[in-house]
Amino acid sequence: MKITFTSRALTALGAVGLTAAFSLGSVQAREPYTQAELDKQQKALWAVSKEGYDLWHGSKPSMSTNGLGCGNCHPDGAAANPQTFPKFIPAFNRVATFREMINWCIENPQAGKALDVTGPEMLAMEAYAFQLHRGKPIEPGLAARQTSPVRVEYGKGFPSKPSMIGKDTRE
Amino acid sequence: MADSKIENSSKREFLQFSGKAGLSTMVATAAGVNLGLVDLVHAQPGKKVTPFRFAVISDSHLYSFKDHKFDTQLMDAIEQVNNLPVKPDFVLYGGDIAQDGTMDQLEKGKKILSNIKSKMVIIPGEHDWYVDMGTGWNGLYGANNPESGQRKGRKEYWSFDHKGVHFVGLNNILVDDFWTAKKMTGVERQTHMSMLEGPWGGLWGIHAEQLAWLKKDLAKQSTDTPIVLFSHAPLWDYYPRWGFGTSDGAEIRAMLARFENTFSFHGHVHQTIYNKIGNMSSVGAMSTSWPWPYPDVELAFPQSRQYRADPGNEADGMGSYYADITPAGINVQHQPFADSLTPWMKNGFKA
Repeated sequence: MKITFTSRALTALGAVGLTAAFSLGSVQAREPYTQAELDKQQKALWAVSKEGYDLWHGSKPSMSTNGLGCGNCHPDGAAANPQTFPKFIPAFNRVATFREMINWCIENPQAGKALDVTGPEMLAMEAYAFQLHRGKPIEPGLAARQTSPVRVEYGKGFPSKPSMIGKDTRE
Repeated sequence: MADSKIENSSKREFLQFSGKAGLSTMVATAAGVNLGLVDLVHAQPGKKVTPFRFAVISDSHLYSFKDHKFDTQLMDAIEQVNNLPVKPDFVLYGGDIAQDGTMDQLEKGKKILSNIKSKMVIIPGEHDWYVDMGTGWNGLYGANNPESGQRKGRKEYWSFDHKGVHFVGLNNILVDDFWTAKKMTGVERQTHMSMLEGPWGGLWGIHAEQLAWLKKDLAKQSTDTPIVLFSHAPLWDYYPRWGFGTSDGAEIRAMLARFENTFSFHGHVHQTIYNKIGNMSSVGAMSTSWPWPYPDVELAFPQSRQYRADPGNEADGMGSYYADITPAGINVQHQPFADSLTPWMKNGFKA
């Protein structure tokens, strides 16, 4: 049997194929996020980062027994350099993650109790530090200089209420 | 400060200064000597100066905890200074003896500082000040400082002459009132000011009363008298975000422009830093408590940056320094607790 396709039939087949391709596509990808969705995501990230800012500045007393907070030595997250992790940490004598480094600082200079590495507070600390290093190239493995790669304009940053930096926990 | 008198006189003084330096530079060029403009000015010997030494300890941030590590670190700096083979004529304490400005911390500081064997003069830092706007600090430390025409009971700024040099101590951590409208307590105010990144106070300075006093004080000095200023924060715009600057620094530098040798020694930055602006050399002190990273600012003298402190060594990146004043200039020697100095600074440098 000889099958002949008229031009009309071809057009119809093409339309079916195109529809199929669209259907397949909608399984694997989706339309771009709406502005409302992006706002929601940004708001969630900002809330977590703000919690990190508070923790960085001493809002959780168990993180320190000597009054020191992360912000004492790392104002604006300076010299924390999260974008350079994982990297070799001499104190560990091995390659370590940024979260491990955070806990090292809590346990040593701050003489406090380490955070749960997978917990929401650690996530918040990480989010705050990375917020301040947005736009910096990720360069894992490099030793950091004692220089902040981030310049924060005066009066900008996190307008959250300062929370107990350096306050004696006994007060 | 919008004080036209200050602006006018500073402009005239600046022109006088540049004219003098310009002539010297021409002479030096003709002689084939490639000296920098500021070096040349500083190379002029201070005829009236008798050599002597002073030392600087700064930024101890003492907490209320008993036997805190910062108590020991301050004591270590005091021992460095006490054990100098050539004794300093006096020790400057550069501010931030306390962390939270409470009386117990200020008292603890006074007790530990009493171990200094030399005479001590002192200026306040923002951590000492904002619980009660300096009342407690003045009560405990004011007696260390000379009477020099200040308002009664306010000896946080002062001046004295010593062996041909005019020394001035300033209180440059004063901010405008942000607390009354917010109905804040003294402790809340101090907590805000204690945050390095806190933008509430704006950039601090010495403000009108002290500017007027300084103008009067410097008017009595001849241009060939070396002027040494002590302040907690730098007198130049380094990184205002962290209070590394003084709002009226330009006015202060303008007042200094007519002098041949002017030097500024400051604390607050918790790092070695050196700069020259106009005819003023500026030297920053390491703290005795913790080191700060260098902000993302290009430095005129990048070799003055100390090496990155080792977080595993609690003594690294901190210390004290001394300065030897000679007729040829001032030599500064930092004394780190551990090895953190660059080669440029290891054997001292000329300020």
